[in-house]
Amino acid sequence: MSRLSEPRTTAGIDVGTSFVKVAVVRSRGGDEGELLATAVSRIRRRALREVVSALFHEACASAKIEPDALDYVATTGEADAVDFRTGHFYSITTHSRGALFLVPTARAALDIGALHARAMRIDERGKTLAHRMTSQCASGSGQFLENIARYLGVPLEDVGMISKRAKTPEEVSSICAVLAETDVINMVSRGLATEDILKGIHQSIAGRLASLVRAIGSDSVVALTGGLAHDEGLVLALDERLARDAAKRGSNAITLVTPKHAVLAGAIGAALLGARRHHQLAIRGALLPSLSVVAPAAHAPEQP
Amino acid sequence: MTNQADPAASVIARAQSIVEDLTFAEVTRWKREHTGALAVGYMPVYVPRPLFEAIGCLPVAVFGGGDRTDIIRGDSYFQSYICHIPRSTIELALSGALAPLDGMIFPSTCDVIRNLGGMWKMLFPERYGAYLDLPQNLTPALGGRFYAEELRRIARELEARGARPLDAAALREAIAAENARRALIDELDELRRSKPWLLRASEAYVAVRAGTVLPVSEHVALLGELLAALTRREVRAYDNVRVVITGAFCEQPPLGLIRTLEKSGCDIVDDDLQLGLRMIEQPITVGADTDPLVALAEAFLKNGAATACRYIDKAVKGDALIAKVRAANAEGVIFTAASFCDPALLDQPMLERALTSAKIPFTSFKFAENTGQYQTIREQAGAFSDSVKLWGGTP
Repeated sequence: MSRLSEPRTTAGIDVGTSFVKVAVVRSRGGDEGELLATAVSRIRRRALREVVSALFHEACASAKIEPDALDYVATTGEADAVDFRTGHFYSITTHSRGALFLVPTARAALDIGALHARAMRIDERGKTLAHRMTSQCASGSGQFLENIARYLGVPLEDVGMISKRAKTPEEVSSICAVLAETDVINMVSRGLATEDILKGIHQSIAGRLASLVRAIGSDSVVALTGGLAHDEGLVLALDERLARDAAKRGSNAITLVTPKHAVLAGAIGAALLGARRHHQLAIRGALLPSLSVVAPAAHAPEQP
Repeated sequence: MTNQADPAASVIARAQSIVEDLTFAEVTRWKREHTGALAVGYMPVYVPRPLFEAIGCLPVAVFGGGDRTDIIRGDSYFQSYICHIPRSTIELALSGALAPLDGMIFPSTCDVIRNLGGMWKMLFPERYGAYLDLPQNLTPALGGRFYAEELRRIARELEARGARPLDAAALREAIAAENARRALIDELDELRRSKPWLLRASEAYVAVRAGTVLPVSEHVALLGELLAALTRREVRAYDNVRVVITGAFCEQPPLGLIRTLEKSGCDIVDDDLQLGLRMIEQPITVGADTDPLVALAEAFLKNGAATACRYIDKAVKGDALIAKVRAANAEGVIFTAASFCDPALLDQPMLERALTSAKIPFTSFKFAENTGQYQTIREQAGAFSDSVKLWGGTP
């Protein structure tokens, strides 16, 4: 076996709006991979750099690898908090690759995060062929759903289960998060059932997500990634919406798959792409930036 | 991590504050220190600064209002389908921000800048305003003679308003000082190519641009200070993609946009931002028996950058861009043109064809000086950077 094709251990760090996710992966050039360790933590109001550092070391310890022994540390999301990174990949790229790793039959990914939702059509390498994402409006996002859960006094983890019990979902008239939140307050005042309100919200978000999936021209298996991929009420609403759209258009039904590590897709994708990049640079004989994870030099400039 | 411990932080912060100061406080200070001397503003892209320094004037680049000026009156002077810089320049002028300037030069960049020159003359008839016709014929006997005469005319007109008479010795001295500045900018550029992590494009940008409102001697000192500080700077290198950005030679993108490109995983190893100070690509040579004004004119003809606001035969500009990419060892090009910038956008298809032939990946977007939302640009630059990094820029 040539030295170039030896397995490499790489880490991916996905710094999101609400959560930090870390994955340590062992792979050959980023093609075949084994997930060695993962770590996930909500940021809350803690110092982001400290959260990242602690989580990264936790994942390395779990993978039984010294941080300095990693071949590549790749970031995705907000890289500024990770001074010790080797390189950075855009979140659309990493979620595409991570989705393929988690669902090998997928040829599209739908990442539903705290602030944005993105749909990507991908090829058999995990390369993004087309993508669409929600605009600045928060109404298709996890943060919006979290706000609604808080208004309704429902624990976030129960939202999906409660929504699935709905019998007469109440339509949310607006696609604007601010107005939708006003709608919800009105619904509560009118004494509507919580499950019907939640289902209405899920249907509203599902409508936006279905538009994204249609826009990328996907008609196959779609891997769901990001925090909301585990919201079973939302997944059901999306499944129903896509089935209805497919029936109306006479097109193939789309299969949605929520992998176990959906929330880690970005981090896993980053780790795998880091390995790919490491492999490519090694072939070219190019040097990688050094991989010290000690505290950065005191007089290093702030990154842009 | 604080900037206090960064040896380059203070000089970069000083340069940035000069760049962002729309009141031209540095010009006011200079005028206070040089009683009776004239400060002469000029629009991008290029005027020969040594000419103004030689006659005791301070040449001051006016890059419009950037992203910190609300356009209220400026819009009423221009149609909606032209670039942003003339509106914000009029806004600055009408609000009194350009009061420290005794006059304005409008070089032949494009029709919009020419029209702006006409507006200036109508709005401020008591202040000096001149259109500087740069030669499009690049032969010394024709274009060179014409251009030298244009420069003499401007020197004469400014002399009538209180500038010193044009003197060959003073012009030689000013050209030498400009060459010294150019050498330091070359050093910065070389550093960006060889160690882009040590000096990011956004930092080099403010350091160079600060010199467009300072006397050359002060800018030389600032650049020297920065270069010295950089030798002591320790920063971590990242695995980024090396790109050249091109197209923003006149209206400038906001600093946030340049930083957004850097955040997207790009090392900007060369660019044509604020081209003026780098317009002449070689030192200006003045032979012992040469008229320095002729040398200044011929430097533009022979060593002027192949930019969109100069007429140059076909293929030359494409070749120049490819040469720039190769010299910088860049992996791709990002076309960054101001919206409605006719020169940049008319040249772009020709440059894209050249890059396609040379198999150099590229992407493009447009901006306005007051662009405030970078998400789309970040998305596009990030996708481009990843595509180059991981897939060699292939679809």
